[in-house]
Amino acid sequence: MTVTVQTPEGVFEFPCANGETLLHAGLKAGVSLPHECATGTCGTCRARLRTGHVDIGWEDSPALAKLKRDKGDILLCQARAKSDCLVRVPAKVTRTVGEDAPANFKGTLNKSRLLTHDVIEFTISLSKPMKFEAGQFVLVTVPSVIGARAYSMVNYAADADEIVFVVKRKPGGGFSDWLFSGSIDDTKVEIFGPVGRATFAVSEDKDLVIVAGGSGIAGMMAILERAIQSNYFANHRGYVFFGVPTLKDGFYLDKLANYVTKAQGGLDVTLALSNETPQGARHPAYDEIQLASGFVHAAMASSMADRYQNVLAYLAGPPRMVDAVLRVLITEGQLPPQAIRYDKFA
Amino acid sequence: MTWKKVCAVGDVGVNSVKLFDVDGINVLIANYGTGFRALPPICPHMEEPLAESGIVANCVLTCSKHLWAWDLRTLGMIGEAEKPLKYYETREEDGGLFVNMVEELVYDFESEDDLDDDFFSKS
Repeated sequence: MTVTVQTPEGVFEFPCANGETLLHAGLKAGVSLPHECATGTCGTCRARLRTGHVDIGWEDSPALAKLKRDKGDILLCQARAKSDCLVRVPAKVTRTVGEDAPANFKGTLNKSRLLTHDVIEFTISLSKPMKFEAGQFVLVTVPSVIGARAYSMVNYAADADEIVFVVKRKPGGGFSDWLFSGSIDDTKVEIFGPVGRATFAVSEDKDLVIVAGGSGIAGMMAILERAIQSNYFANHRGYVFFGVPTLKDGFYLDKLANYVTKAQGGLDVTLALSNETPQGARHPAYDEIQLASGFVHAAMASSMADRYQNVLAYLAGPPRMVDAVLRVLITEGQLPPQAIRYDKFA
Repeated sequence: MTWKKVCAVGDVGVNSVKLFDVDGINVLIANYGTGFRALPPICPHMEEPLAESGIVANCVLTCSKHLWAWDLRTLGMIGEAEKPLKYYETREEDGGLFVNMVEELVYDFESEDDLDDDFFSKS
């Protein structure tokens, strides 16, 4: 089927397979359809169906509830074409040719291991290599759970045969329950990606402030890996603030300590404990990692005061944490929007 | 000109936003230090309530949802912003802040429907 997208700046056409969402079809064709979470919660991908038929997908999606369905509003990330369609998208859209557009991949889940009592890491071995930028994410679909989930790649490699993810247990979450059930290895999964614009490339040429809450550290690990691989901190500073409730909730500390060592003074890592008073200035097992008390946005604010010149900030974590960090970056840090990067999929 | 009193000048702190009801119409007042702006209560992007998500700093209003931002002195768009802010004229008198409000300012989320096919067809 053919989907035609009308935007204020032009018309774009692309093919859409039976059962494929309009968003996936467009992104695969290099058309930059607006999206953030790509999983039906944020509403960024809203469009208005003018002609044609679609299956609107997830009926109870919170974002769909806010739209005018009687006028044909749909979410591109949920709607699947049933015929040729014409949709209107009220946003700036461009088409890029020849770049690495996202695609569908098949993979097998393996090497799952608990990092803490409620954080699990797992790997997906891909049927073919995927190119991605540090900080991007993919949409993972598992046969026994309805709906895709967005996860950021923890690892970074130019052409990756395997991608690694870390997930924090969400009480009552269907996917969470399955992930923590103890028998997930060898599951066949489907992947769509890579997606996401909160990326890091070596050409940035700025000092980095990286603020993560809980499993938000995932994409940040890929960013740090990329930076360390190219010796970025030889002539730039990096400041990482990782927020967790207590000392035993920290994970990837061995990797982070290793990055600090490799960066030879260019990288600072602080673990901020929101539910426990640290017993010293540094982690008892990892001397390279500093400890702070309180919420991660406060730890960042106190450390970075007056030091925001030439900074590029990356954030990831629960929405309230991201909001608190943003306020500090914009008011105290005086950072313009262009100096702040995050993908909004909570 | 239909001037209506919104609040006392001191009711909205510097670098903050506050929502007021003016004869049944919601108006957001932003104090950017060297002046005030009176705006519709929602972001022109995706209707985010600016009383919750609006951040005022350095004479700039940023909506924390997607970082659309506007210079409150000139109303120029900054960063990712793709639509301008609508605003009510304001003036201060005897310690009060007034807005010129003939009718409620509303963003045209709806009228995208009424746009000409030609508007959408330039390629």
